[in-house]
Amino acid sequence: MNAQQLGENIKQRFAAKVIDFETLGSDQLYVTITPDSLVEVAEHLYQDQGCRYVINGGTDRRQQRDAFLITHFFAQDEEKIYIAVHTEVGADDPQVDSITPVIPAANWSERETRDMVGVVPVGHPDPRRLVLSDDWPEDLYPLRYDVAHDVHPPPAEGVAPERLEPPEGASVVPIGPFFPVLEEPAYFRVFVEGEQVVGADYRGFYSHRGIEKLGCSVLTYNQVPFIAERICGICGYVHSCSYCQAAERAAGIEVPDRAEYIRTIMLELERLESHTLWLGIAGHIIGFDTVLMQTWRMREPLMWLCEQITGNRKTYGMNLVGGVRRDIKPEIYGDLRGVIDKIGDEWAELAEAIPGDSTLMARLQGTGILTPEVARARGAAGPTARGSGLAIDVRVDHPYAAYDRVEVNKCVYDSCDNRARARVRLGGTIDSINIIHQALDDMPDGPIMAEIDEELPAGRQAMSAVEAPRGEVFHWVLTGAENRPERWRVRAPTYANLQCVPPMLVGNALADVPISIGSYDPCFSCTERMEVVDVNSGQVRVYTEEQFRAEYDQPGAK
Amino acid sequence: MFKKLCEKSFPKSLWVYHCNVGACNGCDIEVIDVLTPYYDAERFGIKLVASPRHADVLLVCGPVTRQVVPALKRLYEAVPDPKLVIAIGSCAVGGGIWFDSYNIVGGADTILPVDYYIPGCPPRPEAILHGVAVALGLAEKEIESVHLKQLLDRPESVPVEVESLYS
Ligand code: SF4
Repeated sequence: MNAQQLGENIKQRFAAKVIDFETLGSDQLYVTITPDSLVEVAEHLYQDQGCRYVINGGTDRRQQRDAFLITHFFAQDEEKIYIAVHTEVGADDPQVDSITPVIPAANWSERETRDMVGVVPVGHPDPRRLVLSDDWPEDLYPLRYDVAHDVHPPPAEGVAPERLEPPEGASVVPIGPFFPVLEEPAYFRVFVEGEQVVGADYRGFYSHRGIEKLGCSVLTYNQVPFIAERICGICGYVHSCSYCQAAERAAGIEVPDRAEYIRTIMLELERLESHTLWLGIAGHIIGFDTVLMQTWRMREPLMWLCEQITGNRKTYGMNLVGGVRRDIKPEIYGDLRGVIDKIGDEWAELAEAIPGDSTLMARLQGTGILTPEVARARGAAGPTARGSGLAIDVRVDHPYAAYDRVEVNKCVYDSCDNRARARVRLGGTIDSINIIHQALDDMPDGPIMAEIDEELPAGRQAMSAVEAPRGEVFHWVLTGAENRPERWRVRAPTYANLQCVPPMLVGNALADVPISIGSYDPCFSCTERMEVVDVNSGQVRVYTEEQFRAEYDQPGAK
Repeated sequence: MFKKLCEKSFPKSLWVYHCNVGACNGCDIEVIDVLTPYYDAERFGIKLVASPRHADVLLVCGPVTRQVVPALKRLYEAVPDPKLVIAIGSCAVGGGIWFDSYNIVGGADTILPVDYYIPGCPPRPEAILHGVAVALGLAEKEIESVHLKQLLDRPESVPVEVESLYS
């Protein structure tokens, strides 16, 4: 089945409810449906067509159409298709049916759309604030076109986060918002009975920097990769790559072969860097600092190599719409191979030593269980999904850059615990090294930048995904006037993976909480709320501080 | 004068507490890098500590986001006197590329008194080491300070009509 056939299937089934559909190549489908059929169509895609939920995004189109555009993105991995389901809601009554009751993975993003664009998801089980600061005014929506990117509502007093009451009989262990184990701010409050975790709450989005707004209001096409790369300082290249691919696809730009190979190599170098970093941090979390020191020692030559290639250790600044800015010169192929081979040898030793270390294994085995069902329902991505037996990897399922010309090995383990997620990364690292060698072997000569017109055409759209070290990064670009995107939607893998954390923590010993969180390799700068796991029902709900307080201050509250 | 004070207050080893106030992670990773074998800041007696109450120095990375402000103020108070604050990375120095975004308050010095600035995106490990060495009086400063022109007027804490914020 290709995108065209899938579109026809949907059209046939839902008849007049499907207003229109169009395709981009054989792998991208854009369906426009009537607002009242949204839940049906979403359920059909998710249940009957076996699609995976990606994310929701809202666009303020009042300048063109007197409406807000609500889009749900899906992926059909077996058929290699990405699907965008558009529906328009009138500007005078910005409401849309929530699909969270049928697809739990839509929970956060529907609320984000409400926060940012002001379209209310009706029937959402938990329609509360998610992204914006607690003192942000109620009805000011940053992504609307008539709100300036630099609006600064005065701070309100007295809305600083308050301490929350734990459930009855349980004690609270606060972690964060600044803590030395993970480098980023996030605030977990873990509810424990004795050593046993009975619930957790999470307050995040400390790193919300308004990136999408900047990309759609002040930057131009070729400035966006620069800021996209700074979405994340560990896997920034995946974001700039994914953005550029989406913009190129939308404008119909052919990227030269050599540029595609260079992107592939840089992406894999970044994966190597990220996995070595992760293993070190994981070691540190469980109190095994030798691992931290060893892996970071191994990683350092890689940083120097990247500097040699790109001019910077991190945030490479390599991508532009149309290609890459710097060539990988044949003179340094030798150095490149040398550096990665050395890492490969040392890594192989580590990969052998780690499963043999009984203390380490005792900390990883059987802890932080994430079942495949929860993983799918919450849209888990990357090593988190592959550690739970879901064989998804964008490099294989939806090949981009030069991945259709190299051999990629999906590393899948099904023990669903911290060990499985560690093994996925241990294996993935060796695989990355092989991919780089293959790419260097077949790298064609030629230009590295496509010739492009000054202005990209407006009103076109494209999706693009890249397999980041942490999972699928997804970008959608709708081109606009003034040489900048009208809308640029980003989904980082941690956005999905983090939604799996609270159900996974329950039932663990307190000492296993940090490594369980760490095993996701969370990256909050990409993602950024507060969640409570209801102690009795295991249901996850997300609260603002105030609602939290209100709920928990009542006598006899859970 | 300040240098003397430092020499007196921090004669032996510096214990640092690192906090991310909205950074992309790039700077934070380089801070850790400084502590690992190649750069090995511990040879200068610099140690990363797990609690602000044990710290002499606060390392701040990233642009200060709106959400972080109250937590950052509390964090600063938790560090015992005398203390130093070092802003690491272009974001912490002046807000970086996000400086005027709606959710960004600005560089670290909009909230805290900052003693040393280490710019770069991210700064190289050598630059971070050099900055800390300057703070310790082990190295000399190499450039003059420049006044940033980007400073913005931010509204005071008074209620406004939300309507007026739409253009
Ligand atoms: S200075 Fe650069 S690397 Fe550091 S937090 Fe800011 S964007 Fe990231």
